[in-house]
Amino acid sequence: MEHKEIQILKRALERERKARKQAESILESKSKELYDTSEHLKRANAKLEGLLEERSDDMDAAFFNIIDPYVVMDLEFNVLRANRSAKEFLALDHSKGNVNLSNFVHPDFAQYTAESMQALLDVGSLKNYRAKIVLSDGAEKYVQINASLIYDRKGSPMAAQGVIRDITQEKEIEELLSKHRKQLDIIVENSPLGIVLKAQGQIVKSNVAIQEMLGYSHEELKKISTEDITLEEELAETKRLMGEMETGRLDHYTINKTYVRKDGSQFMAKAAVTSVRDTNSPIHYEVFIVEDVTKSMKAEAQLKESENRLATLVKNLEMAVLLEDEDRKMALTNKKFCEMFGIQAPPEALIGIDCANAAEDTKTYFKEPEQFVTGIEKILKERKMVLSDELEMVDGRILERDYIPIMIDGTYKGHLWSYRDITLRKTYKRNLQIEKEKYSGIIANMNLGLIEIDNEDRIQLVNESFCQMSGFGRKELIGKNSKNILSMTNKAVIDEDSLKKIKQHGDSLEVEVLTKQGETRYWLVSAAPRFDQAQRKIGLIGINLDITEHKKLQLEKENLMAKLEASNQSLKEYAYVVSHDLKSPLRSIEALASWLKNDYSGTLDRAGKEYLDMIQDKIESMENLISGILAYSTANTSELNNTEVDLHEVVLEIVESIYIPEHVKVITSQKLPIVVADRTKMRQLFQNIISNAVVHIEKPKGKVELRFEEKTDFWEFCIKDNGIGIPKKYHEKIFEIFQSAGGSKKSTGIGLSIVKKIVDRYHGEVWIESEEGIGTEFYFTLEKNTIKKSENEDTTGQKNRKIGI
Amino acid sequence: MKGIVFAEFLSMVESQYGLETVDNIIETSKLPSEGVYTSVGTYDFGEMVTLLQHLSQRVGVPVDDLLYAFGHYLFQSLVKTHPEVVQSYNAPIGLLYSIEDHIHVHVKKLYPDAELPSFKILEKTDTSLSMVYASSRGLYRLAHGLIVKCFEHFGTSADVSIELLNKKGTEVKFDIVQHGA
Repeated sequence: MEHKEIQILKRALERERKARKQAESILESKSKELYDTSEHLKRANAKLEGLLEERSDDMDAAFFNIIDPYVVMDLEFNVLRANRSAKEFLALDHSKGNVNLSNFVHPDFAQYTAESMQALLDVGSLKNYRAKIVLSDGAEKYVQINASLIYDRKGSPMAAQGVIRDITQEKEIEELLSKHRKQLDIIVENSPLGIVLKAQGQIVKSNVAIQEMLGYSHEELKKISTEDITLEEELAETKRLMGEMETGRLDHYTINKTYVRKDGSQFMAKAAVTSVRDTNSPIHYEVFIVEDVTKSMKAEAQLKESENRLATLVKNLEMAVLLEDEDRKMALTNKKFCEMFGIQAPPEALIGIDCANAAEDTKTYFKEPEQFVTGIEKILKERKMVLSDELEMVDGRILERDYIPIMIDGTYKGHLWSYRDITLRKTYKRNLQIEKEKYSGIIANMNLGLIEIDNEDRIQLVNESFCQMSGFGRKELIGKNSKNILSMTNKAVIDEDSLKKIKQHGDSLEVEVLTKQGETRYWLVSAAPRFDQAQRKIGLIGINLDITEHKKLQLEKENLMAKLEASNQSLKEYAYVVSHDLKSPLRSIEALASWLKNDYSGTLDRAGKEYLDMIQDKIESMENLISGILAYSTANTSELNNTEVDLHEVVLEIVESIYIPEHVKVITSQKLPIVVADRTKMRQLFQNIISNAVVHIEKPKGKVELRFEEKTDFWEFCIKDNGIGIPKKYHEKIFEIFQSAGGSKKSTGIGLSIVKKIVDRYHGEVWIESEEGIGTEFYFTLEKNTIKKSENEDTTGQKNRKIGI
Repeated sequence: MKGIVFAEFLSMVESQYGLETVDNIIETSKLPSEGVYTSVGTYDFGEMVTLLQHLSQRVGVPVDDLLYAFGHYLFQSLVKTHPEVVQSYNAPIGLLYSIEDHIHVHVKKLYPDAELPSFKILEKTDTSLSMVYASSRGLYRLAHGLIVKCFEHFGTSADVSIELLNKKGTEVKFDIVQHGA
């Protein structure tokens, strides 16, 4: 073995030895400790035993003299000793034999007893052991035992002693009480009413209902105050009542109040509080019974409201109501009833009145009083519902009456009369009927054809006129498709667009319709959409006017106009041609005549020369006549070239250019106005009048005077002369062509007819006032506003009476 | 710390590393007790720490692993010396569940002044156990070794996960799930 190993082993051995010695010394000291402890225990035990013995002796005496039963038994329940009351109570005499207490124990308590015994053995004492025992005579008793162990000198338990108390009665009372309490608790806990019991102002009991009502648990309720659960406004009253009760002035009170829940919400409740005082006890109880009346109050309010509503409804009903009970006493009526039958009293005052004679009393109001009374008697006898009887009143009103018997469970309980004034409705209906008939009559008899078609173009309605217009009978039209039966020769007129327009808004158009007889007629059709009450389009309504005759007239007129125009034109041309063609030979004649006069004046005698002069005069007249005709023919037809015309200037020009005899003077006392007119026509107008005037004056001093007046819508001119005058019979005639007063050789009889024509064109009038030998006043008017500038110039206007060849 | 732990520890060192290592670590540790330990005696815990450190240095194994291995060894030797304690269990979970209520009570009977760690049970099923180890010594790896060996002893095995509830390891949660049960 190596040296090192030996060294290691030596050291290990050394450590083991030391460890053993250490262990031995530890064990030695432990043994010593154990010995000391056991010695100490022995002494203590001896001391305790001495004490116990002394005590036992003292206590034995005491126990045997006490009133309560006292028993000492061994650990097997055998009675060792018992005092007198124990013997009496248990009816035993253990001196006569061995008595075992376990025999007394009721089987129900055997287990409990065994456990209690074990506890006694473990702990050394037993308190309040309670069990039922069965005595030898069979009686059952409840006992309560307090027991302790008795030890022998060695300290081991050898016996047990106990004091027995008969608690049968106590137990019975307790059971009874607990049964009652349980019953009460069941009632209290299941009561829908909130119940709180206060003792000395402290809550000692609260049931589930009140906890649920208020939202507080029982523990919380104990802590809260009246303020916490009472609405602030009602706190004073609550406190006052509580105070009165506290002071004993009040033993019971009921209050309707608003409680506040834990969550702040509220409910209405009826709280009944009763104070319970026991004369023998200072404890003062208060019982609170709280009923949540929120729902019932709400229901009551609703009922009241609905009753009120109903009453108001009946009161203000637009129907007279009379409710009679089974004894024919008035139970209910309303304002309308009083109004209807002229009763002055308010409806409330009528309640209770006997209605037996009501019919007889009121029959005078009705047109057929006897029938009214017998009718009511019949109804009342039959007691069957009668509705909508119509009654005519003396004053013209018509009433509708219902009779409703009231049966409850098959028993007659009265009846209800109700009256409605249907006068208006009746007359309204009648009026409506009259109106309808009126319009039906109009529709049937009017000259317009009426047709209604639905959305599928089926004919719904036609009137008599339509049948006549179309030639179809009503039966041939109704229900047929309008497009199929009524063919139009100019279908192109009704294109898609116009059809759409008609269907949307209505429109008028002219169509050619083929009648049943195959005749083409012109109709003016006004069509519009038809609507029902809900404003839905349900078709079209068409009103048709047969305009065939109009159409024909119009066509004729158009033809006539065309013809007229053509003849006018040819007339114009004819006049022109005639005057031109006539003038040409005339000039030749005139030239020939002057040649004769000049070249043959020597050879011609006086008479011959006079004849030549006469020829020349006639030629001049002829020429004037031709010029006049030309002017006349253009006066009417030529276009007007309206410009601003200074009439004063025009007149001056005329005076300068026409022949005016020496003794005649033309005076314009006013400056004539500027008018908008055709200058040439104006000149023609004035020239004709003036020249006419100046030549017909035979007085030595002739005078022609021009005046005018401006009226609102026209100018009025007057040319006055002091000439020969015009006989009354010519006043109208002179304006006709080729007419002149007195057949003067100087007059062509055309001038004034030109005047008339021009005045006509300016929508004026012309007339004369004249006295033979004194003079003539020529009046004419020109309308102001019809004169328009835009008309074209009259190229044929003349200023000369002479027309060159 | 009770002498029995020291004695068992040295016994483990001798069986695994030889008597020379035992001698060496005692000699180098310069202990107040001079390495003399008897099971019934009580010694300073610091000596155990010193011994562990020297052993760790000498054999090159971390202290924690040495403690874990010691746990294995200690369980076996405890079973050998007090077989009746273990025999009253038929499953490792049951044994672990009763450490405080039963096993430690027995320990206290023999070594009234032993300072024992506490094991607070958090959850227990038939096959799993969750508990918190608490000891000022922080020897949870030793406990770990004991637990694992316990399962081995009953011929089974378990997943043992360790969760340190503080840095020192004086409070550690063990979640144990038995295999194949």
